[in-house]
Amino acid sequence: MTPSLLRPDQPLRLVDTYPPSAPARQTTIRVEDLSVVFDAPSGQVIAVDRVSLAVAQGEFVSIVGPSGCGKSTLLNAMAGLERPFEGQVLMAGEAMLAPRPEIGMVFQQPHLFPWKSVRRNIAHGPRALGKPNAEALRIADNLIEMIGLTRFASAYPHTLSGGMQQRVAIARALANQPRVLLMDEPFGALDAQTRAVMQDNLLELRERINATIVFVTHDIDEAILLSDRVLIMSAGPGRILKDLQVSLPRPRSSAIVAEAAYIALKRDCLDLIRSEGRRAFEQMEIRT
Amino acid sequence: MSVGGRSSASATARLSVLVAILSVPAFTGVWELVARSGFVNAVLFPPPSTVAVAILEWIRSGQFFADLMASLSRVAAGFAIGAVGGIVLGVLTGRFRLVSSLLSPLFHILRPIPPVAFVPIVILWFGLSETGKLFLVVWGVFFTVWLATHIGVQKVDRGLIRAAQMLGTPQPQMLWEIVFLGALPYITVGLRTAVSISFYTLVAAELAGAFAGIVYRIEIAQQNMQTGQVMGGLAALGLLSFVADRFFASLAERAVWWR
Repeated sequence: MTPSLLRPDQPLRLVDTYPPSAPARQTTIRVEDLSVVFDAPSGQVIAVDRVSLAVAQGEFVSIVGPSGCGKSTLLNAMAGLERPFEGQVLMAGEAMLAPRPEIGMVFQQPHLFPWKSVRRNIAHGPRALGKPNAEALRIADNLIEMIGLTRFASAYPHTLSGGMQQRVAIARALANQPRVLLMDEPFGALDAQTRAVMQDNLLELRERINATIVFVTHDIDEAILLSDRVLIMSAGPGRILKDLQVSLPRPRSSAIVAEAAYIALKRDCLDLIRSEGRRAFEQMEIRT
Repeated sequence: MSVGGRSSASATARLSVLVAILSVPAFTGVWELVARSGFVNAVLFPPPSTVAVAILEWIRSGQFFADLMASLSRVAAGFAIGAVGGIVLGVLTGRFRLVSSLLSPLFHILRPIPPVAFVPIVILWFGLSETGKLFLVVWGVFFTVWLATHIGVQKVDRGLIRAAQMLGTPQPQMLWEIVFLGALPYITVGLRTAVSISFYTLVAAELAGAFAGIVYRIEIAQQNMQTGQVMGGLAALGLLSFVADRFFASLAERAVWWR
């Protein structure tokens, strides 16, 4: 028995049937024909072009694509931070028009509140939702223990390393017990070593709380290692090219990169991205 | 060569410390000598010893304390009202576009008018009452603090605001815990600038007519040709404003506690 994330009197909504192949899994967040358009000096730019996807409860879905393909915009729209131009994002059947605490978000930068200690940063969400201070701090303390930063509970963010800061950001997002956790290249700004440790931590965390996660990255290895499904996006305009099932057994560790199934999957991904990249590059050359 | 160079560098450093310590006493001594030499009119340009005597007299008579309290309470009250108003409206105009569209154009027109220029109309409106003096100090402080806050709020990292939004932060908590604290480094700079502005508007306010206060005392002394008292008043005003500035500088350092 792994130690539970929170005390028994606080049932964690993230907990769901596991393994992912379990039957009758509910859809949590659904994107329907979503387009996001930006106003640019040269006219309107289609960042996301009629994308549809659905994420089942307990599922870990990665969105992979070259930089500027609109994957972060897609994630922001799922978070309610970006207005759809067309289509909609549905959370448990309801249209998302603004950020909601049922959806947690971890950004590429930790964006911790610099004037709050680690403990207060994590307690911010529960307090914002009207929980009494003592309860918010108790939730924070449990999460701090889970991310292994008990010694740093009263430290201020600038005294922590980048990896530690990002762990706090993840704990802060989990403190509201979101039904879906969105992660926008959360390890993109970390060095290779820290990144590998963070990936292992996230895998372990996920085994423990079985979160529903949508994870944006440009790193194919990262996507395959972590996910149940990898969505490959094309650039300009952002579309989903392919929806790949990753049926590698769990629990996983970074050792799977040597397995044949992994290598085959990665080759498929790379081929797709390469041909797509070439197409996008040629288009760019014609345009300029 | 290098050893010699280093020792001469440290000698220079020691010498400059010594010169710095002796600077004010030396100039005071020169002032004393020149004032007593007979080259200048000692009534118009009294030596520092005369000024010191005037200051002692001022303190002994009990008027100094009354004047100090009168001036200080004007500055403190005006500063507090202007600063609170500037911070509150700065947070609102910095955060809400509609509020900014409503108020910013007006504030930008009023802000560049030197507060001293309001003295005549303030006398028409409020006479020689304390309200008028308060008005002048508040006017000077408010726009400085408002602008610093407004700019500070707009410089708050958008990522922090997005993170707070994602956590379901309600508007009052957003304004206080994220926007205000995020802008605090700018706000403290604005407050410190406003301290010196509050003293210079105080001068205008008391010159326009008062019944007590440091600048009032300077004016009375000038009318009685008590030049020593005039200079003593100037010294007191300089010292007061210096102490207030130092106080705010250290406060500003401590206010941003997370750095």
